[in-house]
Formats: sequence, C-alpha cells, structure tokens
Amino acid sequence: MKNVFDVIVCGAGHAGCEAALSAARLGANTLMLTGNLDTVAQMSCNPAIGGQAKGHMVREIDALGGEMAINTDVTAIQFKLLNASRGLAVQAPRAQSDKKAYQFRMKHTLELQPNLTLFQATVTGLIFENGKVVGCRTNLDLDFHGKTVVVTTGTFLRGLMHIGQNKNEGGRMGDSSAKTLSASFLDAGIELQRLKTGTPPRIQGRTIDFSVMEEQRGDPTPTLFAFHDTRQDSDLFHVEQSGEDRPGWEPGVRQISCWITHTGDQTAEIVHKNLCRSPLYGGAIEGTGPRYCPSIEDKFVRFADKPRHRLFLEPEGRSTNEYYINGLSTSLPFDVQVDLVHSIPGLEKARILRPAYAVEYDFAPPTQLFPSLESKKVENLFFAGQINGTSGYEEAAGQGLVAGVNAVLKGRGEDPMVLSRQECYIGVLIDDLVTKGTLEPYRMFTSRAEHRLLFNHGSAEMRLYHHARKHGLVCSERLQRMEAKKQTVEDWTARLNTGRTPNGTFGELVRRRESDIPFPSEFNYLSAEIRSEILYRVGYEGYLKREQAQVEKVKSMEGLRLSPGIDYGRVRGLKKECADKLAEIRPFTLGQASRISGVTPADIHILMVHVKAGLDKKASDRPEAAL
Amino acid sequence: MISTDTNHQQETIAAQATGGGEAAIAVIRVSGPLVPGLVSAIYHSPPPPPRKFARGKYRNVRGEVLDDTLHCRFPAPRSYTGEDVLEISCHGNPLIARSILRDLSARGCRLAEPGEFTRRAFLNGRMDLSQAEAVIDIIRARGDRALQVARHQLQGGLGKRVKEFIHELLEILAGLEAYIDFPEEDLPVEDPEGPVKRIQRLDTAVARLIKTARYGALLREGARVLIIGAPNAGKSSLLNRLAGHDRVLVSNQPGTTRDAVEERIPVGDHCIRIMDTAGLRSHGDQLETMGMRKTLEYAEEADFFLLLLDATLPHPALPVSLPGLLTPDNTLVVHNKIDLLPNQTVQPWGSDFKQISLSALTGEGLDDLEAAMNDLIEATNPVAAEEFVVIGARHAEALETASVSLEESHSLLLNHEPTELAVSHLRTALHHFGEITGQVDNEAMLDRLFANFCIGK
Ligand SMILES: Cc1cc2nc3c(=O)[nH]c(=O)nc-3n(C[C@H](O)[C@H](O)[C@H](O)COP(=O)(O)OP(=O)(O)OC[C@H]3O[C@@H](n4cnc5c(N)ncnc54)[C@H](O)[C@@H]3O)c2cc1C
Ligand SMILES: Nc1nc2c(ncn2[C@@H]2O[C@H](COP(=O)(O)OP(=O)(O)O)[C@@H](O)[C@H]2O)c(=O)[nH]1
Repeated sequence: MKNVFDVIVCGAGHAGCEAALSAARLGANTLMLTGNLDTVAQMSCNPAIGGQAKGHMVREIDALGGEMAINTDVTAIQFKLLNASRGLAVQAPRAQSDKKAYQFRMKHTLELQPNLTLFQATVTGLIFENGKVVGCRTNLDLDFHGKTVVVTTGTFLRGLMHIGQNKNEGGRMGDSSAKTLSASFLDAGIELQRLKTGTPPRIQGRTIDFSVMEEQRGDPTPTLFAFHDTRQDSDLFHVEQSGEDRPGWEPGVRQISCWITHTGDQTAEIVHKNLCRSPLYGGAIEGTGPRYCPSIEDKFVRFADKPRHRLFLEPEGRSTNEYYINGLSTSLPFDVQVDLVHSIPGLEKARILRPAYAVEYDFAPPTQLFPSLESKKVENLFFAGQINGTSGYEEAAGQGLVAGVNAVLKGRGEDPMVLSRQECYIGVLIDDLVTKGTLEPYRMFTSRAEHRLLFNHGSAEMRLYHHARKHGLVCSERLQRMEAKKQTVEDWTARLNTGRTPNGTFGELVRRRESDIPFPSEFNYLSAEIRSEILYRVGYEGYLKREQAQVEKVKSMEGLRLSPGIDYGRVRGLKKECADKLAEIRPFTLGQASRISGVTPADIHILMVHVKAGLDKKASDRPEAAL
Repeated sequence: MISTDTNHQQETIAAQATGGGEAAIAVIRVSGPLVPGLVSAIYHSPPPPPRKFARGKYRNVRGEVLDDTLHCRFPAPRSYTGEDVLEISCHGNPLIARSILRDLSARGCRLAEPGEFTRRAFLNGRMDLSQAEAVIDIIRARGDRALQVARHQLQGGLGKRVKEFIHELLEILAGLEAYIDFPEEDLPVEDPEGPVKRIQRLDTAVARLIKTARYGALLREGARVLIIGAPNAGKSSLLNRLAGHDRVLVSNQPGTTRDAVEERIPVGDHCIRIMDTAGLRSHGDQLETMGMRKTLEYAEEADFFLLLLDATLPHPALPVSLPGLLTPDNTLVVHNKIDLLPNQTVQPWGSDFKQISLSALTGEGLDDLEAAMNDLIEATNPVAAEEFVVIGARHAEALETASVSLEESHSLLLNHEPTELAVSHLRTALHHFGEITGQVDNEAMLDRLFANFCIGK
C-alpha cells in the first residue's frame, strides 16, 4: 500500500461511508481508516432509517449519488410512509432496518468501490504542516498522507458510557474510544465541547409476550428512498448476489412487524424511587442531552401528569432475535433497568441482552467550519457527522457526502459544493450548524426549513439536479434520466395549468379537488411518482409560488460571496460586536452573514457596499488602505 | 427578511426623505420600477415633464384626497438612485406624511431601510467608488438612528403587545408543528378547533392594535400639554389658534370652556395634546369648581405647561399646588393679548422661564410659541418626528401584513386544508411581528414544542 492519498476518511460510520464513497466516485484516490471493520455503518441506536425530515434527507442523499437510500431499500424489513394523510410536503418515508444486512451491504459496496482503499487502524493523531493537515498517524505506527482529511469519528472522541454509576470508556458499547485524537485537535486550536446521548436496552424476542401488544405492520406498498426510476436495476443487489448477474431484488417484500406497548403501572414509581441513582440526575454527566430524545427518567419527571408512555418493540433484523425498546432510553443502573423492563406489559419475563446506557463524548462546535465543512482553523481538514454536534444516521450521512465531495474539490483547487438552505434539508442542516452552532445534539425537523413546502421528498432529484450535474455526482445515464424527468414534470405542470376542460383548466379542477378529472390519456401513462409530483405542483401552485418568491428575494444575497480573507475589524462602519461575530463565523455569502445573530440590516448594506467597492480586495493588497 | 437585492429592479421603496428638517413640508421619496405608473394613478392626471414640479391632490387607493402636494419625477438613470424616482412634498404634519407612506405601501411599495436610497445610488453607479466611505457612514448613521428610534418605541406599549402576540403565536405554532414533525409520537388527540379559535382571538387583538397604530400610537400619545390661565386669559382662543379651527366654543363670558377637550395638534416636528381646557378659576359656580379641581389633577399628568397670562392685567395668584410643578424645562410663559398693548412690553413671570408674547386674536407671535414648544419637546426627546413617522408606518405595515397572514391561516384551518399550509402563513405572520421586535429564532418555537409535548422515543 502506498501511503499517499488524495482523500483520507477517518471513521466508517454513516458519515464516513458517504464521504469515502463520494470521494472515490469522483475519482479521487481515497483511503478509509476505521478502528473496526466489523462495525462499518453501524446503527448505534435504533434500527430505523428515515422519518420526518430525515427521510427527506435520505432522498436528497440519493439525488446526490449517495448510498444510504439504496442501501436501506435493499436491506430494510419494514417500510412506512409517515403523515400519509397530510400533504405531500410533510410526508416522509421511514424504514425498519436489518442492522446487520445494512452493514454488510454497505461494507461490500465500499469493498467493490474503485479508487477506495479500506484499512483497519485507529487514528491516534493528525499530522500538520504549516497550519494544514497533511495526514494522520495510527495505533499501528503507520502514517498515512493525504491532500485532504475528513474526520467522521462520531461519538468516539473521549467517549464515556454510563450505566448508573458504572462507567466505561468507549464510543459505543463494544467499541473502544478514541482518546488521543482530541488532544491532536486541541493542539491545532480546534475547540471541543461535550454532549451526551443515550440508548435503550435490547431484549431477547423469545422472552417477549407479543399477545398483549398491538401489532404495527408496514405499508403493503413500500415507499422507497432511492429514485429507482432514474437508477439502474443493477444497483439493486443483495450481498449474497454480488458478483453474480444481479437479477435484481424487489425491496419491501417479506416485511416484519413492530409491536406497540406502554409503560406499566409500576414504571413511574420505579423511576422516581431510583432517580438518585441516575448519573443524569446525580450530576455525573456534564454533557447536554437532546430535548427531543429524553430518557425515561426525564419523561416521568418533566411530564409528571402523563401516567404512561408508549413504547415500540422493533426487530433488529431478520437473522436475529434481538429487539430494541424504542422509548425506554435510560442511564439508570442495570438492576433498575431489569425492574423497569419487567414492569412493562408483555415484558414481564423479558431478558435483557444489552443494557441501556448514556454516552458522553467530545464534539467540535461546528461554527469552526465553513459551509463546505472544511475547518477554518486547519486547512484541508474536513469534519462530518456526530463530531459536528449532530445526532442521527441521516444527518451524519448528508454531511459525509458533502464533506467527501468538497475534500476532493479542495484537493483539486476547485470551488466547494455548497448546498443552500433554500434548496434542501441538508443545506438547512449545514447552514444552521456553521452559522448558529448547536447547544444540544442537532437533529433535523421539517420546521427548521423556512421553505418546507418546496422540499417534498419526491422532488429531491429535481431540486439538486444542478449540483449532481455540475460535479458529476451520478453517472451520465442517470443524469439524462433526471433531466428528462425534470422536463416531463415541468412540461406537464404547465400543460395542466393551461389545458382547458369544459369546467375550467385542469389546474383549476385539481385545485378544487374534483374527482374523476378527465386527464389526457398520456398523463395517465406517466409513472405514479411523476404524476404525484405534477399534481402537487399544480394543486399547491399558489403556495409554491409564494415560497418560491421568498426564495428569489434572498437569492441574490445567497449568491454574493464574501471572501474568507475579509478583515472585518477593518471594515469601516461595522460595530465591534458585529465585526467580531463576522470574524468568528466568516460567512461564505452575504445571505449567511444576514443570519448571524446580532448582524443588522445596516451591517449587511455596509458589507454590500464594501464588496461592491472592491474594498475587500484592496484591504488585503494594501493594508494601509484600511477601511 | 432583509431585502438587499443587488439586482434591485424588483422592489420599489419609499420613505420620508430625512434631513429636510423644516416642519412646514415633508418630502417623500419613492424609487423603483413602480414609479412611472404611480404618478397618474395617484394624481389622476398625466405625469408632469421630468424634473418639473407639479401641483396636485394626492389621492389614496380609495380615491380620497390625503393632501395638496407638489410632486416631481426623475426618470432613470438621471436620478438620485439611478432608478425612476418620484418626490412628493406634502404638508409637514406627520399624520399626513404617514398616511401617504401607508398608501404607497398599499400600492406595492416597500418602506425603505435606513440608508437604502444611498446604497442603491452607490450600487447603480450614481456615485464614485471613492464615495464608498461616505456611503457607509450614511448607512451606519441612519441604521443606528433607526435602531434607536425603534428601541425607543418598543419600550412603550407597542413592544409589549407585539411580544405577547409572538408568544401566543409560538404556542399555536408549536401545537401545530408537533403533529407535523412527530406523527409517530404518542401525542394527545389533535384538536383542530383549538388553534382556529386561538388564531381568531390573536387576530382580533392584532386588529385592535392596528386601529390604535393607525393614528400612530406615538403621535396619539404625543406630548401632553396643559394650558393654565385665569378665566378670560384667552385659553380657548389660543387653543383654536393652535388647532386651526373652531373646536372650542369661545365666549367673553368667563368660564364657558367647560368640556375637557383634548386636541392633538402638530407643533413643529411633534405633536401635542392639549389637556383639559375648563380653565383655572378661583371663583364661579359649582360646575366650574369641579372643572378646576380636574385641571389640577391633569397637572399631575401633563408633560408640559403653557402658563397663559393676560398681558393687560396684573399677574394672577396661582393655586398653591401649582408653582411647584412648573419648571423652565416644562413650562412656557405666554403673555396674551399683546395687540391691546401699545408698546408691547410685558411683565416677565418668574425667572429663567421662557417668555412668549402673542395675540391669540391676530395670530401674532404664534410662530414663536410653536418654535419654543418644539424646542422644549425636542430637548426631552432624542428622536426626530420624521423618523417616528417612518418607523411608525413600518410597524403598522408589519402588523397589517401579519394580520392578513393570520386570516389566511385561519380560513385554511377552518376549511380543514393541510396544516402545513396554514403553518406557512403563520410563520409569515411571525416574520412580520419579528420586523417590529427583531426576528424570532426557530429555536424559540422548538423550546415551546418540547416543553409542551413529551416528544422522544
Ligand atoms: C449510545 C448512542 C445513542 C444514540 N442515540 C441516538 C438517537 O437516539 N437518535 C439518533 O438520531 N441518533 C442517535 N445516536 C447517534 C447516531 O448513532 C449517530 O448520530 C450516527 O451514527 C453518527 O454517525 P457518524 O458517522 O458521525 O459516527 P458513528 O456512526 O459513531 O461512526 C464513527 C466511526 O468512526 C470510527 N472511529 C472513531 N474513532 C476513530 C479513530 N480514532 N480512528 C479510526 N476510526 C475511528 C468508528 O469505528 C466508527 O466507524 C446514538 C449514538 C449512540 C452511540
Ligand atoms: N384683544 C384680544 N382679545 C383676546 C385675545 N385672546 C382672547 N381674547 C378675548 O378674550 C376673551 C376670553 O377669551 P377665551 O379664549 O374665552 O378665554 P378663556 O376663558 O381663558 O378660555 C374673548 O372675548 C376673546 O375674544 C387677544 O389676543 N387679544
């Protein structure tokens, strides 16, 4: 193995996998290092992909040539469309995963990927030269050099797991923690802070009494994540089939059910009696946990009037009898966990396979990053995933893809790919992270997007097509299909809006929600997805136009680039607080600058004049021309 | 949303041109693509030749005359901003300027942001690059001033009310968003009626505030001035003079000014409110005694006093409680009826007090009074009236657009349309409230959501 690469990816979680694949697919000679090749793409927490906003992001990842969507489609054991009774913009696909199948297929995809080298080694430190990263060191005393390095080490940095008073070092149960890497970041001037998250116990299926629980089946017709209409059938391979002729796999067959139960009569009492033994309440944990993912202790304390809480039992895969208790995250001691589980209807005799635990870890506040996910402190160093303060597989994967692409572009001296918050959830995610930072593990919600109505999951390919084309993120065949699809949708939208029937235009009939609209027969031949997209655009025309108009208004600001070299302290007219803020965030565009708290419209006007007058350039050439 | 389009062909902006200073007229400047169509729409007559002033009646969208004005248009690119520009000179009364600005926004213009005319001029190449520094200084100064004014206004009732609206709106939003973003959670059964009622109630409250704002909460609450004077000193006559029409019955029978009239009167850059005019009397019938007691009560609330003396008579004795309230900072001593004095010399009252001589009958000296009054108010108030007008109009505009969005969302929810559409309007409303108080971060909504609902599996 020659130890010089274009891109080195540290970590093989969801962020690392997408980063490595996107870099290699762009033709960069890529190395992926991970402490344990058996835990590639591991789902540390619940066995599910998608859901509100997350499902949207998975589809966006697919539109950008990522792997998460297709990997989920092929391996998932249950599919459900959420919010099916609401409008298209807030419907989202969700799937129960077969954790092992997901990992195997992802690992195999990595193995088959040209330009990609996998290697098992723990990264112990980065190698810096002149304020730039040039490679990394490993526990095997092997050094690797790369033009750019992408760090995706998740919860592993000084990871500390808590079960009651019991503490173990580790990034997640069964994996060791990365201890020395944190020091390497601190040395480079990168600030680190602490966060925490938790996971519920896993139990053995044959000790569960399902008869007292409510069955939750998947949808008979699965809503898939990947855009199969533009992808090739050969993408649909199963691990067992690789290397063969790959006859294709039909996703969504043989689905497995989940089961619903709830906390029992004694559960609250058990929690209250043992609160003092919880590291969360005892003060042993200093990191901030997420508001949206409270432990069972939190639920009973903060919502004391709610007598019981719903729990889901989710199978972890086809070839295992392990079940995940969704809703029972806790860091209470193991003996209390046993009592808790036994207090739940249907789990009276259940046996715990793995205890619940909380994990504390270092993260690098993401305001230290540019929207390309490159560090402001160390050139050529990129960060993606939970290390940026996010939580969730989809959030990690979306960042990983962007970081992978940008690591390649950076190495080639090209402009980065920046997804804007006006076009996709991944854009909202990254913009929030780098502009505002986060105080808790950041999870995506649809309400975080200003223009949610424009972000329906089915339109992801059309929204992101221009990025895919510009950077060659998908093969040319798929690009052509994407283009054709986009054209069809636009043509038909126009046609229905103007085409007349005796009772008004088709558009009017759709908006009046009439049944049995006599659409032209060619329309009925279009695929269901395309028809649904067209009908959405026609039916919600007024709303979509309104939101689009708002997007147009800010577009020119989003398009106005601010050079990272601006010395804000010397920009005439900026208040000190504001200049400090701008210098810290170093916004990429004027639009991003306007979203920084404390930056006023007047400041934005001043920056605009400053840039227009070319003062940003002059200032660096001639420092005496201070302005 | 800050509108800072570099390609500013889209939006037409309007604002009172600041720096005019003169109270007699106010200049309103409009710039952008709507200008060519505006002139004939407003004046119901063909536009005058470029750069020539024309006189005309300014009619609002409903065709009502707002003022008799002069207007002049400057076609692009030979204008201040390099765009089509219209300048309207109207009477200096802040209410008039404000109603014109309101009408312009009804016609599709947007209120300009501080320094925006200058910025457009610069970006359109109407200024030399070397003037960039000067442009930046102007933007800074205007921006700071606007902030100062807005802060000043928000300290009052308006800010408090709008913050209450935002609080309620966030609660409503959190309730709706919870069901959109967390469909799998064990939430209480969704109650579609709740939000409908709450939005309705909120909108009613907003509408009430708009009504108040329409006449300008601030102008309404303008400086409170109490005229103090012996019977027949000429209080009613002075009031009529100031107000410009016969609002109060004047008679030479002492004590006829019986009703407590409160009249809002523009004075220079400001607006004053004349309080109780029943008159101070040391004698008279039962009714007048009550009136006098009331005058003394008013004195506690007054911001300023006009001590009105009949120049032809010796100084009267004031009720004991009064002199303590009168200071040179809050009182003008007005010697009336100088038309009856052959040499016009008056006996000054008190020391350090500003003395004004005038005739309420002929109007002589009235300008001196207005100027002195203006100075007095100016000295206590750091902010110029013209900016109050602009900010006031901006707030009214924000409230109105917010109200429209609330109504839209209300009717959508009422008709069981998808919640996310209603939410889209509610967020627009939130944005408009935010234009008054500063924008509200989405985190605030999430805080409410996670506090009100047990979310998390
Ligand atoms: C206990 C727990 C509970 C969680 N609960 C939730 C939840 O409730 N909801 C939710 O949305 N998300 C939850 N998550 C988060 C979710 O698992 C992560 O957000 C997601 O997996 C992050 O992906 P990642 O790629 O950033 O990091 P990870 O998936 O953590 O992957 C990190 C990778 O880096 C490798 N690595 C680490 N250090 C080194 C090193 N020094 N050298 C080489 N390789 C290294 C690891 O081997 C691993 O492959 C939880 C995670 C944990 C651990
Ligand atoms: N000559 C003269 N008469 C005045 C003047 N101001 C008021 N008067 C007369 O004085 C009388 C009393 O005036 P009025 O305004 O009713 O006094 P009030 O009782 O203080 O309100 C009326 O007959 C007025 O016409 C003035 O400036 N000059």
